[in-house]
Amino acid sequence: MAPELTTIPGHRAVETLVAKLRRRQIVGSRQAALETVLVLRQVVSKARFSNIQQLIAIIREAGRRLVEAQPKEHTVGNTVRRVLYNIREEYNTATQGAATSSRNVYSISKFVLQGQPRKHTTGAPKSEATATLTEDDPDDPDSFARGLKPVLMEAIQDVLDELETVYDNVSKTAKDHIHSDEIILTIGHSKTVEAFLKSAGHSRNYTVIVAETAPSYSGHDMASALSASGISTFLVPDSSIYAIMSRVNKVILGAHAILANGGLVAITGSLLAATAARAHSTPVVVCAGQFKLTPSWNLYHGYGALDFADPSSVLGFEEGKLVERVDVVNPYYDYVGPELVDVFITNELIKETYDDDDHEL
Amino acid sequence: MRDIYTHQIITSDFVLVTGDLVSNVRIDEVVRVHKERRRTNKDAIMTMVVKESGATHRTRSRGESGVYVLDPNTHECLHYEPVVGYPAKSHVTIPREILAEHPEVEIRYDLIDCSIDVCSVEVPSLFQDNFDYGDIRRDFVYGVLTSDLLMKNIHCYVAKDGYAARVADTRSYDAVSKDILARWTFPLVPDDNHPGGHLYEHLRGNKYIAKDNSVSLSRTCKIGNNTLIGSHTVISANASVHASVIGQRCTIGPGAVLRDAYIFDDTHVGAGAVVEGSIIGARVTLGDGARVPRGCLIADGVAIGANAKLRKFERVSKKREVRPSREEDGSDGDDEESDSELEEVEAHQEDAAHIVGKDSNALVWPPPSPDDEEELDERESYHNQRLMRIGDTASDLELSDAGSTTSASETETESDFSSGMHSLSRISSATSASGPSISLSSPADPSAQTSAIHTLSSAAAETEFRSEVAQSLERAFAEGHSVENAAVELKTLRMASNVPLRRVREAVVGAIVDRVPLVPGDAAAQRLEIAKMVKRWGPLIDKIGGVDPVETVEVLQYHCAGAGPRQPLFAQVLAQLYQQDLVEEDDIRAWYASAAAKGEGVKPGSPLLDGLKKCWVVGAKMIEQFDSDDESEEESEEESEDEEKSNPAPTKPPANKEESEDEEEDSDDGSDDDSADESEDALATAKPTTTSFAPPRPAASASGPSKPAQVTVEDSDSGDESDEFVSGEDEPPVQATAKIISPTPGGQPGPAQTAPAVSVKAKEDGESD
Repeated sequence: MAPELTTIPGHRAVETLVAKLRRRQIVGSRQAALETVLVLRQVVSKARFSNIQQLIAIIREAGRRLVEAQPKEHTVGNTVRRVLYNIREEYNTATQGAATSSRNVYSISKFVLQGQPRKHTTGAPKSEATATLTEDDPDDPDSFARGLKPVLMEAIQDVLDELETVYDNVSKTAKDHIHSDEIILTIGHSKTVEAFLKSAGHSRNYTVIVAETAPSYSGHDMASALSASGISTFLVPDSSIYAIMSRVNKVILGAHAILANGGLVAITGSLLAATAARAHSTPVVVCAGQFKLTPSWNLYHGYGALDFADPSSVLGFEEGKLVERVDVVNPYYDYVGPELVDVFITNELIKETYDDDDHEL
Repeated sequence: MRDIYTHQIITSDFVLVTGDLVSNVRIDEVVRVHKERRRTNKDAIMTMVVKESGATHRTRSRGESGVYVLDPNTHECLHYEPVVGYPAKSHVTIPREILAEHPEVEIRYDLIDCSIDVCSVEVPSLFQDNFDYGDIRRDFVYGVLTSDLLMKNIHCYVAKDGYAARVADTRSYDAVSKDILARWTFPLVPDDNHPGGHLYEHLRGNKYIAKDNSVSLSRTCKIGNNTLIGSHTVISANASVHASVIGQRCTIGPGAVLRDAYIFDDTHVGAGAVVEGSIIGARVTLGDGARVPRGCLIADGVAIGANAKLRKFERVSKKREVRPSREEDGSDGDDEESDSELEEVEAHQEDAAHIVGKDSNALVWPPPSPDDEEELDERESYHNQRLMRIGDTASDLELSDAGSTTSASETETESDFSSGMHSLSRISSATSASGPSISLSSPADPSAQTSAIHTLSSAAAETEFRSEVAQSLERAFAEGHSVENAAVELKTLRMASNVPLRRVREAVVGAIVDRVPLVPGDAAAQRLEIAKMVKRWGPLIDKIGGVDPVETVEVLQYHCAGAGPRQPLFAQVLAQLYQQDLVEEDDIRAWYASAAAKGEGVKPGSPLLDGLKKCWVVGAKMIEQFDSDDESEEESEEESEDEEKSNPAPTKPPANKEESEDEEEDSDDGSDDDSADESEDALATAKPTTTSFAPPRPAASASGPSKPAQVTVEDSDSGDESDEFVSGEDEPPVQATAKIISPTPGGQPGPAQTAPAVSVKAKEDGESD
């Protein structure tokens, strides 16, 4: 049923992205998501299909390749799901005029339900296309594609726009969350958090403490970016997070992925900060675009949640004797459980963004 | 390389890598740097990629490595010295020009050679032109850098990030496998970018299990850290697997223990078998309870019987199933050779049965013996191969390499440390007289990238040369060779060992003096013996490749001064040399005036100096004689001719007077001489090369600019800071330019003599903490 990848038009672009993901040349959830959308747009624009199932199979196959290439970049899968969802939406609108399916009801409970594995709602059978577009037209097999493609491109463009505006949209509410003279602690260099804090900086006067986030020391970049925009900023070593937590009003974290149980995968050190915050009852706020919401459950002991990098940033390779005797573990990400997080701030209201059928690509 | 050149395949710059390379170094950066350099400097023909690792890194080949001398500003590789692990080198020779021309020099022994070279088009043609180049490092790089004619530069790229290593032997196979499992090669790790397309799941503690759910792990088996298990492999109850790699479709029996083992596909390990530090091929069957201790290699398809006990480092292959008859493959020389080798091995199997157990098809290869290695070069010698062997700690090998001594002592106690330093200073002083050697015995500051360098070939080469010359002269004397033949032989030896002419002169003069039979108490007979000897062999001194009578006298003086009972012979031999016209009057005067003749630069109070003084006094008398005899020169010549004809001569020739005086003097302080002898002996044990100990050259006969610098930096006991210059004190300009910079952050660039002391101090501080 599923088409071979090599038969997919635009598979070259897919393969390029696969290679890049495997070689870790694309790191970071937003970049991965953007690249995925661009590749899917190529795939769709070149795809030859005569009915919606064929198109979806093509996209799924491409998506599966991308996810397999790097299962730790959750946003790749999320983006594929999102694109599939939008395409179905557009298809339904185009074929039925008005979508009446229950699937279009926005509900947060639906989203949580969605995450539960193997509990697909075997809902109402899909209403079949009737009108304007003829599928499987034997005379003109391309007519369906020709008719649908403009709307499909629009659907994909929507996803792209959303990704591109995610920072602005997340930051819109910043000044409601950050008050004057507050002390905020953050960790790592999340672009979302940076935009959020900068946006709040326009209207509020507050202080940010940035943990330097060993071993990547991305906190250094964050601190200089914030202080460049006029926010009073302190850079502290990770070890002092607990010590200064008593003075901190709020902890703001970025996320690599937000799991269906409300936990998140975030840069190393986030768990430390979140746990310290819990000990001092300091609220923990997570800023993340919606594309980071992942319909999978706590994978702490499973595949994909833990990503261990090269130990060289922890222990230099030149320490010959130690290298032999010491096992160095250098995880990219921490898993922060849902009980440690108080608020999620996303770019728009939580709504149905993935289709039930697409949880397993 | 030559093939490539002849086929003209490559027409532009290229990247040369070996097939056994594992690397994630970003090579585009290297290429960019190389290209940039090429634009400004057409002679920069090659960029080698090296990686910092520390001298004792597991991934760094112990058997074969190199010392790099780099210019820290331009990254130009100024000198490269290949180093083999055994016999250990303790010194490296660095041409003096390098130190003179470059204000800053990094000498590094902590680099892994990644064997990634960005080469320009000239490289293959250089190979073509120099037909004797074999290895790209040992021959090509060394050759290009030491060649005066090529004027090509080679640069190094010290990779800060990334990983690169070669799998050149079983030892590095082990090391690189461990590095991959420990994710040093990230993102090239089994769970991510497996080249075979297998998918592995990465669990905590660097365990990799095939992802397709086909691995069957028993509930009670133990899987340790740094382990990889291929798909469809079954691990039975109570088996334990640590730091091992297991291929696909293997079965590991109940209670089996695998540690540091590499097991290829489709292998069966029986119940209770123990495998440690070994490589086991595909489709091998290990019987129940078999024991494979560390270092074993088992070839594909071998069956090892139950309860077999292999010895360490055993190599086992499958027996040939059908033995091809001689007639069939007799035509092929290669086959025949390997065939006979196999037969030899097969003849060796009488004790194999109890090693490999019953029902085995295995063939045990005899262990390589340390004895049959004469025809191999150093690199392939048995002991050096051991350093490349998996699981071989080689702790029993005497690695007097200063690097390992110091690093060993770092982990051991302070007293060990000082003993290590003792042995070092011995090495330094032993070779200080010889050739261009820099021995820096600074213990590597653990964080210092510039590790201690110590290592030198010339010590070994010199002693070898000396013994060869001695043997050659022995033969010449004993068999009565003609002077010409002996001279040819010596020249050849000199070329082969590449030693300065002075050494040859020392050896010849020394041999002549030593061969004069001593006739105590009979001056006339003694004189006769000397005359005979000098007449027969004296001409050899000038035939060895250069005539320098001043040096001859100087060498004679030093030899006699250091030769104890033969010291009085100096005057007689000198007189004979004079009479044989080997030495002219002017030469003696020039020698007499030189600083070396007066014993300058020799440690005051040493018996050597006393000897030198005495000889000098003899010389003084001789000169006096010349002065007084100037007018009656002809007469004295006649006399001397007479003397030769009629012995004993009625009138003593001028020189003989001094001789007798000297003998008197000698007998007067004979007791002194005895004690001197003893201390001389002590000196000789401390400095094996004392006989030819070359004192610092006097300004008059000072070495030409091409003469190598002698800078010897010594850490005396346990690194107290009194650095002693054994020699080279009279060459301050070189020292001033020779700065060895420690690239550690905060390490102050300092002159060579302080750098080691500083690092020693730092180290001691560290230890006292």
